[in-house]
Amino acid sequence: MAPTSEAIPVIRTRGLCRSFAMGATMVHALRGVDLEIHRNEYVAIMGPSGSGKSTLMNLIGCLDTPSDGEYWLDGQPVARLGEAELARVRNQQIGFVFQTFNLLARATALRNVELPLIYGGVPPAERRRRAEEALAQVDLRDRMDHRPNQLSGGQRQRVSIARALVTRPSLLLADEPTGNLDSKTSSEIMALFDRLHRDGNTIVVVTHERDIAEHCHRIVTIRDGVVASDERRVERAAEGA
Amino acid sequence: MNVVESTKLALESIWANRLRSFLTLLGVIIGIASIIATAAVIHGLNLYVADKLSNLGQGVFVVKRFGLITNRQDFLDALRKNRRLEAIDGVAIRDRCPSAQAVGWQASVTRDVVRDGHEIRDVQIGGITPNLLEIEPFDVAEGRALTPFDEERAAAVAFLGHDVKEQLFPSLDPIGKSVRIAGQPLEIVGVAAKKGSFLGFSQDNFVKIPYGLHRKMFGSRPTVDISVQAADPARLEDTMDEVRAVLRARHHLRPGDPDDFAILTAEGINDLWRSLTQTIFSIALFVVGISLVVGGIVIMNIMLVSVIERTREIGVRKAVGARQRDIVQQFLIEAVLLSCLGGVLGVLLAYAATVALSTFTPLPAAFPAWAPPTAFLICTAIGVFFGISPAKKAARLDPIEALRAE
Repeated sequence: MAPTSEAIPVIRTRGLCRSFAMGATMVHALRGVDLEIHRNEYVAIMGPSGSGKSTLMNLIGCLDTPSDGEYWLDGQPVARLGEAELARVRNQQIGFVFQTFNLLARATALRNVELPLIYGGVPPAERRRRAEEALAQVDLRDRMDHRPNQLSGGQRQRVSIARALVTRPSLLLADEPTGNLDSKTSSEIMALFDRLHRDGNTIVVVTHERDIAEHCHRIVTIRDGVVASDERRVERAAEGA
Repeated sequence: MNVVESTKLALESIWANRLRSFLTLLGVIIGIASIIATAAVIHGLNLYVADKLSNLGQGVFVVKRFGLITNRQDFLDALRKNRRLEAIDGVAIRDRCPSAQAVGWQASVTRDVVRDGHEIRDVQIGGITPNLLEIEPFDVAEGRALTPFDEERAAAVAFLGHDVKEQLFPSLDPIGKSVRIAGQPLEIVGVAAKKGSFLGFSQDNFVKIPYGLHRKMFGSRPTVDISVQAADPARLEDTMDEVRAVLRARHHLRPGDPDDFAILTAEGINDLWRSLTQTIFSIALFVVGISLVVGGIVIMNIMLVSVIERTREIGVRKAVGARQRDIVQQFLIEAVLLSCLGGVLGVLLAYAATVALSTFTPLPAAFPAWAPPTAFLICTAIGVFFGISPAKKAARLDPIEALRAE
């Protein structure tokens, strides 16, 4: 990490809006969100369903572009980028972790983790090395050659976290990462996020579960398309993995 | 993403659905196989015909009363208009065409051949000038050929085709023995080497006797076929012009009148044959073309199904950084590979069919060398043409929607 990048927020949005045409009426899912998230922050985005938190996550993840407003990712304006450029930003700066893991069923854990590097044009030998490294980070080195159906739910989610980490992105973006897991596995996964945060990663977790959000140091609540509260919490340094 | 990665992915996906892939490909497999098999049979026939025609000898052509007639009206016209050719026409050609090295002729009738109560029906009895055996080369297997001396004295001698010898003298030496044709006893002086069959017709079912004798036995009614050997095969056309001029003068044709005789060359027959098979092949091509289009549509359909089934996978790929062109490339390569796989199987099937045909049926078939590369090109074209629309559909999926798909 270059020292100057400390000053630049990883995420900075100004007046972010997103509307959808639903038949004749316009639905305003986001109505001007201003948000700044800095390097190595650990943020939960909460909100009831229909609040706009999914829309916000899609915009932050560069899966979607805003109807209005500005968004700088790592200092780079991304609100008006085209399809191919957005794909490159997703490839290099964002690591997604999904509620349903979204692993490729036919591919081994290793191949799944390699996937972003394939689209990033990384040569095969280095690709393999980095994928193994990422799997080691989530303690799955010994499951590299297993397919998703040979892994438990928690292991699958760890593969998906390894896939998010493998490009060394500016931001880890997790959408309900424990939504499909039992409570014991959930706390294991959250412990892993805690550890990744301590290792210097910037993490945004979208969740509707309070106890998941409480792992984070900052909880942003979205309601009716705007930021309803932005609560900074005391570091829970004592708790850990 | 580079092509190698896309190809690997496509192969994995085809392999993962192997039964479905195979069934999908049946149309292409059958289409490619039948087109190549048809081509193989025609190619084989062409080679076979060319080979048989080359029997006619270098620089040789034949003047006949009737040419290659392909319809009834032509035949009726020719029957009315074309005069019989006679030995004296052959003599005129021999005397007045300086570039003709050798001129021979043959009159033919069909009669039964008898030996001690054994009988073969419908044998071609050719009365020939002895040099004909050199012009249209007949190799001598036993005994000797007919000679000018036989001709001079109209000797009652016969030169047998291989089939006639085999049937009448299965295990005997026929030389010096006799056969009867139309009551006339003939002494056998020689047997021709086997020529084999041509399109199912034996070429060895003949007896050659001196022309003079033939004339005594059967009269001068039968028309003769005059075989001319050009001194220089490279100047065959010039010799043909000389022959044409001599015959037209003898037949009192005015300039502008069509010839009332036909000149056949091996090349001419070969050309006619080829134009015939070309027509058959174009028709086959059209029919098979339809099956390839159907095969392509089936591929398109299965690719569309595949896009729907893999919507979520496409979403994941986009989320981790696949661009539209990466997705197009992946699905297009899959369609092309699928189609080319059908091509490969089709070529193999056609090859097996060719071998089986030429082994188990009298149809000659030869696998044409151009078939595999052509099949490859056709299949690539089918894959691209029918694969592009499913691939684009996949590429245009909204990643958010795709990730949410069941």
